[in-house]
Amino acid sequence: MKSLAPLCNLLLMIMVSIWTVLLWDPALLALLLALELGLLAVAGQLGKLAKALFGLFMVAMFFAAIQLPFDVAVATAVASGLKMMVMTVAVLLMLATTRLPSLTAALVRQVRIPYEYAFMFTSALRFMPDFIAESHAVREAQVCRGYVHSKNPLKRIVAYAASVEPMVLRAITRSDTMAMSLELRGFGSVNRTFSQQIAFQTRDYLMVGFLALVTAAVIVCR
Amino acid sequence: MEAVRFEDFSYQYPKTGQGLDRVTLSVPQGSFTVVTGTNGSGKTTLCLAMTGLVPHFFGGAMSGRVMVEGYNTADRAVADTAANVGLVMEDYESQLVALTVFDEVAFALENAAVPAHLIRDRVLAALESVGLAGLEERELSALSGGQKQRLAVASVLVSRPAILVLDEPTSALDPEGAADLYELIARLNREQGITVVVSEHDLARALPHADSVVVMAAGRVALAGPLNEVLTRMLSEQVYDAAVPSLRRLKAALETEQRQFSAWMTAGEAAAEINACLKSTRRLSLSA
Ligand SMILES: Nc1ncnc2c1ncn2[C@@H]1O[C@H](COP(=O)(O)OP(=O)(O)O)[C@@H](O)[C@H]1O
Ligand SMILES: [Mg+2]
Repeated sequence: MKSLAPLCNLLLMIMVSIWTVLLWDPALLALLLALELGLLAVAGQLGKLAKALFGLFMVAMFFAAIQLPFDVAVATAVASGLKMMVMTVAVLLMLATTRLPSLTAALVRQVRIPYEYAFMFTSALRFMPDFIAESHAVREAQVCRGYVHSKNPLKRIVAYAASVEPMVLRAITRSDTMAMSLELRGFGSVNRTFSQQIAFQTRDYLMVGFLALVTAAVIVCR
Repeated sequence: MEAVRFEDFSYQYPKTGQGLDRVTLSVPQGSFTVVTGTNGSGKTTLCLAMTGLVPHFFGGAMSGRVMVEGYNTADRAVADTAANVGLVMEDYESQLVALTVFDEVAFALENAAVPAHLIRDRVLAALESVGLAGLEERELSALSGGQKQRLAVASVLVSRPAILVLDEPTSALDPEGAADLYELIARLNREQGITVVVSEHDLARALPHADSVVVMAAGRVALAGPLNEVLTRMLSEQVYDAAVPSLRRLKAALETEQRQFSAWMTAGEAAAEINACLKSTRRLSLSA
């Protein structure tokens, strides 16, 4: 998976989602889920995601259970719960095995999404940890000045609002600096190169062939 | 030849009308120049003017010109001037835009359409020269403040500028971190011949490495020239003289007085006599 081209990983995710929409047999869906979990384990991500997967499992069970009172067959309810899991795990699998910068490069070069949009997306991710750290710092500063965090939800909202202003001010100066940095480094030039390895290799073509075969089989078997 | 030359350059920011006032200044090639002065004296604006961001990014009114390696910054795109001058801004964290260390350093090269197979070696060399070798796959959020600053330096060095400008690089660092950073910059200056300009309100931090000093005051160049000459004039003309480190002041005071001292037997005697000498020049008193 890690050795597949980023676009191939994306394609895998999309195709798995399509199969999931088409299939209604709980056994086949369970097989698909088992395959995905196996791949996650191979990628060394299973342990890290165990907690999230368990949560997801509970939600899917709940989703299946609430359908039963509405005269839905048990198999159908289980299948819909499984579908939900398979699709979510497919996304997790893609994110766990593809480096985001490579995915950006693939989307721009191979899918032809404008680089500015792709960049906006990655820079939002880049600044997310900073914003979280800042909001903690602001709230700590509030506590230092004697602010008590109340259990009353209305008061909590007011407290959050008070922490928004310093963060917005900081965000404005920050975005000025970032804009200068982008200008200095020639952002927006027409002929951009990408240093990531995104080209398809033999194994990627093999994977695409395999995906096409399974898709054909799924359609025929329906 | 001069790396940077300001020729009667004046500039006003659009909203406040503040900025630079008739700056004439030359930064010799290969020098290590410290720009100092109080808050609001124009240090940052001077740094930005060397990169063309003033006036290109801010707008506002200007007259005179800034020449960087023979090019007039007003006539060139900011990204072109950046091939000659690398800038590390005071808020260096916000200057970083990528998710990983490698992508951050590769960013300017990718934008400049450098062929992909050449990028890797140049990125690794830049990281090596700031002491971040081996961290290329790290995410930015996992770096310390000091590492982020080194990364900002690497991300401009990768374009191989002849001039490196750093705006208040140590304002967020502890004294030890500041000393390390100056070591690094001084090494780039010595070994790679990069002309260095550092703005720094805490003059003492930069002094061990600098060879020339510019003192800004209210948007003007108050003093500029070789280190020792400028330090002496800061004291004698009382320009931002509070920033001169105390041993330098002591030296200057003793030199101007050319006084003979008695044979000191104890530290107390020495301190008393030196203090008496300094009091007579009303410049400083030394605590024993
Ligand atoms: N973006 C800006 N817009 C308007 N005025 C500014 C701006 N940045 C700085 N100034 C003004 O220009 C003057 C010089 O500021 P600056 O170069 O930031 O000084 P220093 O870096 O020495 O603290 C100050 O009077 C400041 O208020
Ligand atoms: Mg400043």
